Amino acid sequence: MASIHADPHLPATDHGHADDASKPYHERYHAAHHFKSRDHEFDSVKMGVWLFLGTEILLFSGMFVAYAIFRMMHPEAFIAGSGKLSVGWGLLNTVVLLLSSYTVAAAVRHAQTGNQKWLQINVVLTFFAGLAFLLIKFVFEYAPKYAEGKLPGMFFSYPYATSEYEPLWWGIYWGATAIHASHVIIGMGLFVWIWLRARKQHFGPGHYNAVEGVGLYWHIVDIVWIFLFPLLYLIH
Amino acid sequence: MKNTPNAPEHTTMSHETNTHDGHAHGHVIVSLFTLRTVLALLLFFTLLTVGAALVEQWIASAFNVVIPQWINVTVALSIATVKTVLVVMFFMQLKYDNPMNTLIFVFTVLTAAFFLGFTALDLGGRSSLDRFKAQYAVPGGTGLAGDNTPITRRARDKAIAAGTYDPHKAHHDHHGGLSITNAGYLQPKPTVGSDENFSRPVKGVTIPGLPGFAERSNGHSDGHDKDQGGESGSKAPAGQ
Repeated sequence: MASIHADPHLPATDHGHADDASKPYHERYHAAHHFKSRDHEFDSVKMGVWLFLGTEILLFSGMFVAYAIFRMMHPEAFIAGSGKLSVGWGLLNTVVLLLSSYTVAAAVRHAQTGNQKWLQINVVLTFFAGLAFLLIKFVFEYAPKYAEGKLPGMFFSYPYATSEYEPLWWGIYWGATAIHASHVIIGMGLFVWIWLRARKQHFGPGHYNAVEGVGLYWHIVDIVWIFLFPLLYLIH
Repeated sequence: MKNTPNAPEHTTMSHETNTHDGHAHGHVIVSLFTLRTVLALLLFFTLLTVGAALVEQWIASAFNVVIPQWINVTVALSIATVKTVLVVMFFMQLKYDNPMNTLIFVFTVLTAAFFLGFTALDLGGRSSLDRFKAQYAVPGGTGLAGDNTPITRRARDKAIAAGTYDPHKAHHDHHGGLSITNAGYLQPKPTVGSDENFSRPVKGVTIPGLPGFAERSNGHSDGHDKDQGGESGSKAPAGQ
C-alpha cells in the first residue's frame, strides 16, 4: 500500500482530508494538478493518444507508399511473391486480430462500468490473442520463409523465383509485417501493464485513461493489418 | 451526440459512483450488443475480401480473361476502408467522441493520401508509357504527347527564350546537392546501378562485390567509355 500512497494522483493524507483507503484507487483518483478536473485530464490524454496515432498512421503510410511505388513498377514481382504466401494463415491472423479488437473494446466498456472481473478477463484475452498472432506469424510464416531464403534484397536465396524483382517484394513483405509485428509485441507489453494495474483495481468509471489509450493504440495496429492482409495476401 | 447514452446495460451495473468531479458524466458507454454487431460485420467483410479475390481468380481462369490490377486493388481497399470506418467509429468511439479527435484522424489520413497521390502521379503513368510508347520513352518524361522534348529540357529552353536563364547557376545546380532534374541536362546514362534517369533499373547483379557483377561491368565498361565520348556528344545539350 505504501506505493499507492506515494501516488501523486491520490489525496495526501497529511492535508487534513482523511483518505478513505478502503475505497478502490479509481474512486480516490485525482487529476494531476495542472488539469481542472478528471474530465479535463481524460480529454487531454485522449487527444494526446490520437496525435500519437496520427504519427503512427504516417509511419505506416510510408510503407504503403513504398508498396504502391514498387507494385506499379513491378506488378509481376508482386503477383509472383504474393502467390508464395499462405492465405489461410493470413486469414486466421486477421480473425485473431479482429477478435482482439473486440476484447479491447469490451475491456474499455467494463472499465467504464466498473466490472473488474470482465475487465481483467478481456485484457488477458487480448494479450493471448496478440501472442497467438505472433506465434502463427513466426512459426508458420516467418520460419519457413526464412529457411527457404525468401528474404529481402541481397539476402534473397530462393532459387525458384519467377520474377527477377522478387527480392524487392520480399523486402516490402518483411518490412511491413515486421514493423507491424513489433507494434503487436509493444501492445502486448502494454496489456501486461494494464493487467497488473487492473488487478489492483486501478480502473473504474472514475478513471480508465490507460485502458482507453492502450485500446486505441491496439485498434490502430488492427487497422494496419486490415490493410496489409488484402494488399499482401490477396494479389493475383 | 456526446451526451447521448448508448448503454442500456449501464443502469443495471451497481458501480454507479459519485465521483469528486463527475468524471463518468458525458462519457458514452458503448453497449456490448453494438460491439458484438461490429465484430460480426468485421468478420463478414474479412470473408468478403477473401471471397472477392477468389471470385476474381475464378473469373480470370474460367473465362480466360486478364483482370486489370486496379480492380483487385480497388476491391481490396474499398472493403478495408469500410472495415476501418467500423473500427474507428465504434471500437475507437470516434462517433461519440470529441470532434477534434476525428479531425486529427481525418487530417492524418488525408496527408497519407497526398503521399500516395503525388507518388502515383508520376509512377501511374510510367507503365502505360512503357507499354505503348516505349520507343519514345524519355528519361524523366516529356509531359506532352507528340513532343519528344523532356520536361526539364523544355523548361530550360523556355528560360533561355525568356532571357532568364543563368548558365552559371545551372552549372552550380548541376553539380551540387539536391537537383532531381539536373536543370535540363541529359547526363550520359550509367550502365551500372540505377538513378533517377532510369524508368527501370539495370537488370542483373549490380552490387559491386557480388558474384555476377564483374562480367556485366566488364562487358559494359568499354561501351560505357565509348558512350562518354560518342553518345554524350550527340545527345547532351551541352553541345548546343
